[in-house]
Amino acid sequence: MAMREEEVGRAVSSTSNSGMEQFHARAHYWGRLTVWAALILTLSLPIVLSFFLGHHPGWNVILSAFLAYAGIVAVVWVLEPLMYYTILGVSGTYIGFLTGNVGNMCLPAAASAQNAIGVEPGTKKGEITATLAIGAASLVNKVFLIPMILVGALLVSRIPEHIQQVFPFILPAIFGGVLAQFAMKKPIYGVIGLVIGFVINLTALVVYMKMLLCIILTITICLFLEKINEAKASV
Amino acid sequence: MEEAMRLASGILVWMIALMVLAVVIFQAIKFILLAKDAGKEIGMAKHEINSALKTGAITAIGPSFAIIIVALSLIPFLGEALTLMRIGIIGSAPIESVGASLGANAYGTELGSAGFNTQAFTAVVWTLCLGGAGWLLFVALATKSMNKLEKKVINKNEKNKKIMMVVATAAMVAAFGNLASAEMVKGMEYIVAVLVASVSMFILTALADKLQRNWIREWSLGLSILVSLVVGYFII
Repeated sequence: MAMREEEVGRAVSSTSNSGMEQFHARAHYWGRLTVWAALILTLSLPIVLSFFLGHHPGWNVILSAFLAYAGIVAVVWVLEPLMYYTILGVSGTYIGFLTGNVGNMCLPAAASAQNAIGVEPGTKKGEITATLAIGAASLVNKVFLIPMILVGALLVSRIPEHIQQVFPFILPAIFGGVLAQFAMKKPIYGVIGLVIGFVINLTALVVYMKMLLCIILTITICLFLEKINEAKASV
Repeated sequence: MEEAMRLASGILVWMIALMVLAVVIFQAIKFILLAKDAGKEIGMAKHEINSALKTGAITAIGPSFAIIIVALSLIPFLGEALTLMRIGIIGSAPIESVGASLGANAYGTELGSAGFNTQAFTAVVWTLCLGGAGWLLFVALATKSMNKLEKKVINKNEKNKKIMMVVATAAMVAAFGNLASAEMVKGMEYIVAVLVASVSMFILTALADKLQRNWIREWSLGLSILVSLVVGYFII
């Protein structure tokens, strides 16, 4: 396996001298390998339960549950990777969607790291920085998650009630903090994103449509603004 | 119910859950190593690479707590192993709980009820695993095509490269604008949480610039979350 990876890398580097091309080739190779492995492993669990341990609930039950669930999430399977690709890049997409929690963990990690180093999203350095940050975030997340799931139920019930009350504020704090990072670099973008986000969230659209609409509108307005600025600069 | 929970913490379920987790951890390490190599090649300094890793690690602490809290709420219904597997990969807790109750309902019972037997548990596992497979399948099949499309757009000319940067930044701002707003419409306390974290971030970043201390930047999100929670504690 390692040899094939080397070959992939070399084949690409001989046709192009860019280190980024080689990185992408390797990211595709390892990304697909790990995602397929996870896919096969996750599907093996219900198969084992149904056919090796004899707890099969019947295909009718499975199908009707799956169709109901798919009705809710099927659109998101495609939309989420597409929406976040421009932010995560090749390697970030593989690693972000396997480790999960893209919006609440991977994106904040990527954004903060890019901010700490002072690189722009959508550049080579930006993508490498995002990958390093998401990789580190994923590992830290597992380090917390595993012991907490094993003993956590006991521990959390010991945390006093009045401290538990602040837990719902963790998410808004994360999102507010990251938004401020961007607003400091590009104040106009920040205002546009927040205003559009707020207006959209007052409507009754489904969750993934809100996100999609917000991203499309913000990108369109920002591109339009850049165009005006360019026109002004060239005059 | 008890029988189902015994099955949920059986050795086979644990083995598969741990193997999935091993794949996720292996991938994270592999990608960090690949990105380190590539970073050196495109001229990133060693301290920049370390700073990226450190910031990612610090930033994950806050979200991890939020994730754990939701994960713990799933354990009574799904057991530790399945929860670990579903939250450890792709899953986001709210969606998983919807899938789990749909699976139980299709079998004609409810999560945690007396009629929740081993077959109902298996129905839940099928629903969650098939449902989660969609993301993985799309990522495995389509990422390469998205990459090709992106290259085509960028390689056309210099101007497209700049447009890509605007698109990436705008998409990021939009994502967080939307996520923050979705929280803010929940109530006054949530608005305060967003605002306090934002203001803390402004102050910390200004401080980092003024004192020329990069560690402040690396800790800025973690600290902002903490300040926001402390303020939150006193207003509720």
